[in-house]
Amino acid sequence: MTDESRLTAQNLTLSYGDARVVHGVSLEIPPASVTAIVGPNGCGKSTLLRGLARLHAPASGTVLLDGRDIHERSTKDVARELGILPQSPLAPGGITVRDLVGRGRTPHLKALRPWQDADTRAVTDALRATGLTGLAERPVDSLSGGQRQRAWIALALAQQTELLLLDEPTTFLDIAHQYEVLDLVHGLAANGRTVVVVLHDLAQAARYADHLVLMSAGLILARGNPSEVLTADRVGAAFGLPVTVVTDPVTGTPLIVPTGVPAGRPQAKEKTA
Amino acid sequence: MTLVIGAATLVLVVFSLWTGTVSVTLPDTLRAAVGLHTGTAADFIVGQLRAPRVYTAALVGALLAASGALMQSIARNPLASPDLLGISAGATAGAVGCIFVTQNTSSLALAPWAILGALVAAVLVIVLGSRGRLEPFRMIIAGIGVNFVGTAVVTLILTKIPDNIVPQAYAWIVGSTNSRTWEHVRIGAIACLVIVPIALMLARGLRVLEMGDDLAAGLGLRPGRLRFVALTVSAVAAGLAAALVGPIAFIALVAPAIARRVTRSPGISVAASVLMGAALTVFADLAARELLGSAQLPVGLYTSLIGGPYLIYLIVRSKGAFE
Repeated sequence: MTDESRLTAQNLTLSYGDARVVHGVSLEIPPASVTAIVGPNGCGKSTLLRGLARLHAPASGTVLLDGRDIHERSTKDVARELGILPQSPLAPGGITVRDLVGRGRTPHLKALRPWQDADTRAVTDALRATGLTGLAERPVDSLSGGQRQRAWIALALAQQTELLLLDEPTTFLDIAHQYEVLDLVHGLAANGRTVVVVLHDLAQAARYADHLVLMSAGLILARGNPSEVLTADRVGAAFGLPVTVVTDPVTGTPLIVPTGVPAGRPQAKEKTA
Repeated sequence: MTLVIGAATLVLVVFSLWTGTVSVTLPDTLRAAVGLHTGTAADFIVGQLRAPRVYTAALVGALLAASGALMQSIARNPLASPDLLGISAGATAGAVGCIFVTQNTSSLALAPWAILGALVAAVLVIVLGSRGRLEPFRMIIAGIGVNFVGTAVVTLILTKIPDNIVPQAYAWIVGSTNSRTWEHVRIGAIACLVIVPIALMLARGLRVLEMGDDLAAGLGLRPGRLRFVALTVSAVAAGLAAALVGPIAFIALVAPAIARRVTRSPGISVAASVLMGAALTVFADLAARELLGSAQLPVGLYTSLIGGPYLIYLIVRSKGAFE
């Protein structure tokens, strides 16, 4: 394992038609760790992730995977190095968990190289890593939201890529399932994978990310260690919401608390440590 | 399950070869069906009349089902099929155009025109159905529009066709397996040998594409290109089928849907669809031959009779949005 970043963006500009969404961003993804991208709605964080995953062609600038322009490499080759779980994929009606996860093997299959033992092993490992072994033969439609999200992550794991990009994997999940998914993500990085994840919840991002990227209006406002990035001024500026930053009593990571108090509710006494 | 459908198809084919106004023994039927000389009436009744007709029906059914299966997968919608998205109308317009220009109604002459018509319609569906890339819902709306235009073109040409060939043109438009020859079987067999393997190869990618463009692209597929290729293959298959027997309604819509339900396959299932299409068309052909005595109604009428209620059932069952 080297310390060198495999995935980098250089002056990356991404647009939808004439509307520029990401403005000349440069970014290096540190290996074997969790990088979280956070920011307000419409700041371009999901677009940046799609750009890093070669799903969105740049208007200008480049994304480099192992030093080569990602768009110049065969997309199938890239898919063996980099996995992406997009927002709201569609589960075909009646598909079982095992079948769904097996589709993660797509980049490893060829017309003349059908399914092999290695593929079965990759699927078994992915099911075990996501705690879905017992549910493997169940239809995906019958799973809870958290289980379903884990099945999609298992699909990405079966792809066996060192780089894994996840677009808002905790959306639509209740709080327990959110942490379940985040624990899984954390474990992946602990095992040497490089994970980039778009998150909404700043406290969760601070808790689980080794490296935090705060975006606003298509630009990177700050990046680095979560406790250095998430200052009250920066978060306030990015989200347009006055906040104060306190320390998470459990993990010691930053916790964002809005300073505005709902009308008619008395403000609590200052109790800063 | 696919094997069961295959076996059922085979039984249906044999049964269809065996039954009819002239009775022939089963052994003679089987021998004549594979081209062996029996020295009985079977040589003519089965070998020259029934076999070409039944085989053509089976091959056309297979082509239509392959076309429909590809289309439904691309559109992520069980209502998508070459007849509803204007591809069949395009093929018909091409074929009627051929009849108008050349006054020739042989399948070999019609085939290139029908394929061309189908491809023109497919290109229109692709162009109108795309905004940067082909969008499933937009594609369906575009297809419905193309269908109306294609149908109008057919009517327009028919009004201009000389009176003496109007009956042939009309007979062709309804879709008929009457008086098919071994020439039809040969074209159909070659078409199936090319189209079905390609469809089988495309299916693996299409199954992934059904889970969303981003997911598929992340897994190393090219959604736009895959959809374009699959739609082209689908259009060629529909065009060939139309050239052989005229536009037969609903097989392309119904066969893949039934196959999917029977095999419980999540996503496109080419082999089962193709066999189901062959079985349904052979069945409709048998009904057309035998059900109303000597009236010999065109097979397209019977496929519409099966398909219409099924379409209504789909609509009633889906309670609103089609997903």
